Amino acid sequence: MNSHHPARAGLAASLTLGLVVALAACSADAGASSEQSYETWDEVVAAAEGQTVKLWMYGGDEQGNAYVNDVLVPAAAEQGVTLEQVPIADTPDALNRILSEVQAGETDGEVDLVWVNGNNFGTGKEAGAWECGWTDLLPNMALTDPADPLLLDDFGTPVDGCEAPWHKAQFTFVYNSDTVTDVPSTLDELLDWARANPGRFTYPAPPDFTGSVFVREVLYSVSGGYENVPLAYSEEAFEELTPALYDELTDLAPSLWRGGETYPQNSNELNELFANGEVDFTMTYGPATLTELVADGTYPAGTQVLTLDEGTVGNASFLGLASTSGSKAGAMVVANLALSVEQQVAKAEPDVWGQFTVLDLDQLSDEERALFEALPTSPVVPSYDVLSENANPELAAAWVTPIDEAWRAQVLAR
Amino acid sequence: MLIALFVVGGGIGFSLVQSLGLLPLVGEASLSLDAYLANGDDLVRGIGLSLAIATASTALSCIIGLTAALVITQGRSTGRLVAGLSAFTIPIPHLVGAASVGLLLSDAGIIPRILGIPGTEWPDIVGGSWWIAVVLEYTWKESAFVALVVAGVLASRVARYDETAALLGASRARRLRHVVIPLARPAVIVSAIIIFVYTLGSYEVAWLLGRPYPEPLPVLAFRLFTSITLTARPEAAAVAVVTTLISLAVVALGMAALRRTPLWK
Repeated sequence: MNSHHPARAGLAASLTLGLVVALAACSADAGASSEQSYETWDEVVAAAEGQTVKLWMYGGDEQGNAYVNDVLVPAAAEQGVTLEQVPIADTPDALNRILSEVQAGETDGEVDLVWVNGNNFGTGKEAGAWECGWTDLLPNMALTDPADPLLLDDFGTPVDGCEAPWHKAQFTFVYNSDTVTDVPSTLDELLDWARANPGRFTYPAPPDFTGSVFVREVLYSVSGGYENVPLAYSEEAFEELTPALYDELTDLAPSLWRGGETYPQNSNELNELFANGEVDFTMTYGPATLTELVADGTYPAGTQVLTLDEGTVGNASFLGLASTSGSKAGAMVVANLALSVEQQVAKAEPDVWGQFTVLDLDQLSDEERALFEALPTSPVVPSYDVLSENANPELAAAWVTPIDEAWRAQVLAR
Repeated sequence: MLIALFVVGGGIGFSLVQSLGLLPLVGEASLSLDAYLANGDDLVRGIGLSLAIATASTALSCIIGLTAALVITQGRSTGRLVAGLSAFTIPIPHLVGAASVGLLLSDAGIIPRILGIPGTEWPDIVGGSWWIAVVLEYTWKESAFVALVVAGVLASRVARYDETAALLGASRARRLRHVVIPLARPAVIVSAIIIFVYTLGSYEVAWLLGRPYPEPLPVLAFRLFTSITLTARPEAAAVAVVTTLISLAVVALGMAALRRTPLWK
């Protein structure tokens, strides 16, 4: 096919260009987050009847999938809402979908609810991905503590009713007590242990969520505690505090697995290394799954949670409502259901999912509180109050990307 | 034809427009080359790495594939065995192949366990600095492809010339050098172009069996596309445009080489 028909080639080219320009003109006015339009909860319940709600959430956690499909979906069906789980590999997948729909001006999108927090929430809020001002309508929101800092700010971005709380998480280190004889009690001691035992420790490469929070924990440690790191991002704070961080990590690198030349790509790979006995430590935001993993033999029998004296980072995760969703009432009903005492207790059971509750136990009635206290204890994971002792706050979302990118440039690419 | 042009042209055009800064998700639209320069180092490293992986995979696939094709057209039982193996390899998706290579050859994989070699002494095949596992996986599958394509050509047209040369008294080696290989060259070149462009743009094998740094172009593009900063999207589009341009250049070079083969004239 050569230039026998220059006119035809010219026509085809201009047609394509015209289509592209037309598509570009379609991009909606981004940046304005939409406000919801229901006045009372009864209106919401009435509108939700018969709607289908798609919940986009991380699909790699078997217990999470089982909880949503076997417990939450039937409960939602009782309220007249058909809930479907859409498993994804990474929350940015859902955010990208919503943003594409926002650009196209979609009003009945594929995404209704998203399990989201942190940077994904902050970025989405900036680009108008989330519906705002709806959480006060939910009756079960009254069961949460209105002054809880973990629920008011999501990694430094004010929540403003743009997402409903779902559960809390605590970043924990996990070690194999059979092979680690000299158990460290602070993060500094942990890094020294890694130097004394070369090749037995590593961490996932940022921008993986778990690797990213590990790097921020080391930042707290080299700065002498989380009080010395301002939660809000500023270039001066970054320039002042991060050189010590990257010096520490580059100094540590030769003692890591594979001599620090490469890192596991994500937390799953690190968990595999730990399960295969190639490293002696792993780290996770969901320690509740450990009991099950040790019981079925995936992890070594000596697996234990490492408690650090200075505490670790804790946060809350939420259900975000997409501004392009066509089933907003149904989504609100599901979010309210997820906040109910029955669902929070079911979710907190280690056999089901083991996720810590966002409810304020002081606000509950005695019978409801008793349900929480009746939850079984685990030989591997201490109870939430022990785990979250000294819980450090998360840095603002604006810190995450500069830290991750500088890590790639200074530590990974050395 | 118009539909194909709409999909391909529209997709590439959309990426091009986004990479030039004319379709930002937030902020003003302005024509600029920032998206290309933002990840300059990573982009250059990615180009080098992608070209290296693609060249190695293509070269190895063509050599092994051509040899296999010659064995297949012998007509004896080894030929049928090789043909059967090649036909069996082709339907297996790259993702399954990559997962299998990972399970077999990683430090805690099945093969070191069978051989009793501890993980620390096993060479860094998966995720190593030479990207051996990635090239191995591509070669394994694409050589089967080359074998079947070239065997098809050899068995049809070339067989007649080969028999004529044999009747005229040429030895096996001379037939190979002067008849079979020159006549098979167009098929090999076309297969090489296809394999090169495919491995240049392939994501899952490079991601599963590779390492976080340096990144081949498709892995870099995907990481930027799913990055939490919205400004990374045009950068991802820029990487995609660069990959497309390199692929088009390779196709042009390949077609030029094809025109110079005797069979084309």
